Amino acid sequence: MSDADDAVDRELTMSRAMVESIAHEMRANEEVFYMGEDVADYGGIFDSTQGLLDEFGRDRIMDVPISETAYLGAAVGAAQEGMRPIAELMFVDFFGVAMDQIYNQLAKNTYMSGGNVNVPLVLTAAVGGTYNDAAQHSQTLYGTFAHVPGLKVVVPSTAYDAKGLMHNAIRDDDPVMYLFHKRLMGIGWMPAPDGPKTPVPETDYTIPFGSADVKREGADVTVVTLGLHVHRALDAAESLAAGGIDAEVIDLRTLVPLDTETILESVRKTGRLVVVDEDYRSFGVTGEIIASVADGDLDALDAVERVAVPDVPIPYARPMENEVIPDATDIEASVREVVSGE
Amino acid sequence: MVSLGRMRELYADMVTARHYEERLQEEYLEGKQPAFDISAGPIPGELHLAAGQEAAAVGVCHHLRADDTVTAPHRPHHVAIAKGVDLKRMTAEIFGRKTGLGKGKGGHMHLFDPDVNFACSGIIAEGCPPAAGAALAAKKRNEDSVAVAFLGEGAIDQGAFLESLNFASVHDLPVVFVVEDNDWAISMPKERVTDVENGSDRAAGFDMPGFRVDRDDALAVYEAAGEAIGRARDQNGPTLLEVQVHRRMGHFMGDPQTYRPDDDEEAALARDSIDRLESTLRDHGLGDDDLSAIRGDAEERVEEAIAWAKEQPQPAPEDAYDDVFVNPPSGVTTEEPDFDLAGGDDR
Amino acid sequence: MTDRRRVTDGGSGMRVAVRAAGDWEEDVDETEGIVVDWFAREGRSVQAGDTVCEIQVEKVSVDIHAPVAGTLDEIVVDEDDAFEIGDTLGWLRSE
Repeated sequence: MSDADDAVDRELTMSRAMVESIAHEMRANEEVFYMGEDVADYGGIFDSTQGLLDEFGRDRIMDVPISETAYLGAAVGAAQEGMRPIAELMFVDFFGVAMDQIYNQLAKNTYMSGGNVNVPLVLTAAVGGTYNDAAQHSQTLYGTFAHVPGLKVVVPSTAYDAKGLMHNAIRDDDPVMYLFHKRLMGIGWMPAPDGPKTPVPETDYTIPFGSADVKREGADVTVVTLGLHVHRALDAAESLAAGGIDAEVIDLRTLVPLDTETILESVRKTGRLVVVDEDYRSFGVTGEIIASVADGDLDALDAVERVAVPDVPIPYARPMENEVIPDATDIEASVREVVSGE
Repeated sequence: MVSLGRMRELYADMVTARHYEERLQEEYLEGKQPAFDISAGPIPGELHLAAGQEAAAVGVCHHLRADDTVTAPHRPHHVAIAKGVDLKRMTAEIFGRKTGLGKGKGGHMHLFDPDVNFACSGIIAEGCPPAAGAALAAKKRNEDSVAVAFLGEGAIDQGAFLESLNFASVHDLPVVFVVEDNDWAISMPKERVTDVENGSDRAAGFDMPGFRVDRDDALAVYEAAGEAIGRARDQNGPTLLEVQVHRRMGHFMGDPQTYRPDDDEEAALARDSIDRLESTLRDHGLGDDDLSAIRGDAEERVEEAIAWAKEQPQPAPEDAYDDVFVNPPSGVTTEEPDFDLAGGDDR
Repeated sequence: MTDRRRVTDGGSGMRVAVRAAGDWEEDVDETEGIVVDWFAREGRSVQAGDTVCEIQVEKVSVDIHAPVAGTLDEIVVDEDDAFEIGDTLGWLRSE
């Protein structure tokens, strides 16, 4: 991990790193509080608030009714009053219940007020598949939130990044969608791959938004990805290295703002681009990244491929879910295609 | 009064549903010991079992015909069994098999059986508007079928439910909203998140009748539901019915329930609606042999369904690309799959 | 709390066992569990009271704390591996 400090002995899972930064900010600022379903006694279905109730009590770690429109909208209102709420959607798939509060209030109130109102809200949500939870509980929806102007969109892939990005999210004066992948959290009942658990300093630190991280340097091809697929791309890069292909893996870390410069710099070096995403293929992240590179430096781009969920809802049964969610083999195949020029 | 024959039918469905959930629990946990890994074992994904909620399902659904519509939430098996959903194909769906109700695409939270007008949604309260829509269709066509939406008590604070109450009421739709109150929205006790003790009080604000059956009693549910469904069928509009049930298992398999006081769980286990109906049946002269014969039949039916499901083929990976549309537009996902994706009707 | 059975083996500091034991034992019926995560690698330092690993018993996650400050000398039960309650999961070498 390029940013992680080798002198740090303690390693954390992504969920523990997130919780550590939230706790830090809550101690430092009375105006920070957390609302969501099952975030108090349960500690978050995906461990996003584990242990916080004990330290901060029910006034600041609030279980809420199953009323996403009401509590996400209330978080918008409290943020506009200057508080710094963190509100959790248990599954990002549930955003539809409260889409107006997200798309028409949270995202737009700053603009519509001519900048006279701001909404310092962090909206956290669990994203992603790989455990057969089917079409209503497995989406990432990265592109959906990055699409509407006015939302910053954060997708951590390691514990180190999760902590620094969360500190930055809570301190940011704008709305931030903080989308954490269930498979990366390090939950006992959903084992994470190797990789998201990293050394994490105990002190607070921020990772600025819009700074993509080169998780692996390489000369032959640029693989741009985020979330769970950072780790799948790194696995693919290892296999490819054995066959003499040297892949660079870029972890976007934030979609909005998007660090186009780091991507362009890499593509100018490699000439080849593979974009990997766990969201739907059409009208989404892969198309946007490729368009940004084409806009920025079309001449640098010799070959391009995208790897994403084909345009189907996430199916339930394992053979079908495995088919549609890209794995390391799919990434390898696409890299080989751009390298061989097929 | 409920006839003895009907009581036996209610009992048979209740013991079927209970045995079904207990057997699915065993199957689900296979390969998940000692490590509980959600991705291991023969049943994919999350599993929300309904042991303890049988009284609500059977008491309501035994008034329904195949052409009446039911929508169920993420905890649907007992309702599906009471509604007459094909048990074998439902079980195959839960095991993620190709011959399942949704060809393995939907899974346990998303069961659809159009033969008996049964559908699910895994999103809280989101089955309410479609139930109102089924009722709207019946009304427009001047048919006497009705619709029933099942939901948990945690769902009564959700906009989709409250808006549906008003929509149904203002249009006098033949729909019944059935709240299964098991006291817990995952880890959140009712009193922490809901302002009323009796969910059926919500009905008053929408100018419709609301009733609560405050004990785990299939016969009391049957009588209350009879009135509500009769009202709907006679074109006298919607009703809200809340039924006290209990949660014998976790919210989902793997729920450690560390938030739940021991005495709450013990109290829930003690008020078993199956025991209650069994004792009524004994009062009506049924003996051990009669009851064990009913239970034996139920268990056999469940075992057959599970055995059949486990023999069914897995879907092929490329089956994932079918069924996004019934009439697929040609040209979608052109580069992706290496199989024939010609446009037009693929059936 | 973790039991402080100490063993000396001639190295600097004392070897102190990190055991799968604690008050939580009263709440479980199972005798087996798995190690979910270690929060330090062998040779790395830990502070007394730090969560040194997380175990899962009967679906309940339990944090195991370092009984002393020192270095993580040896991981005996790796991540995802099973243990019997009371087993030694690893060894610390005290400062």
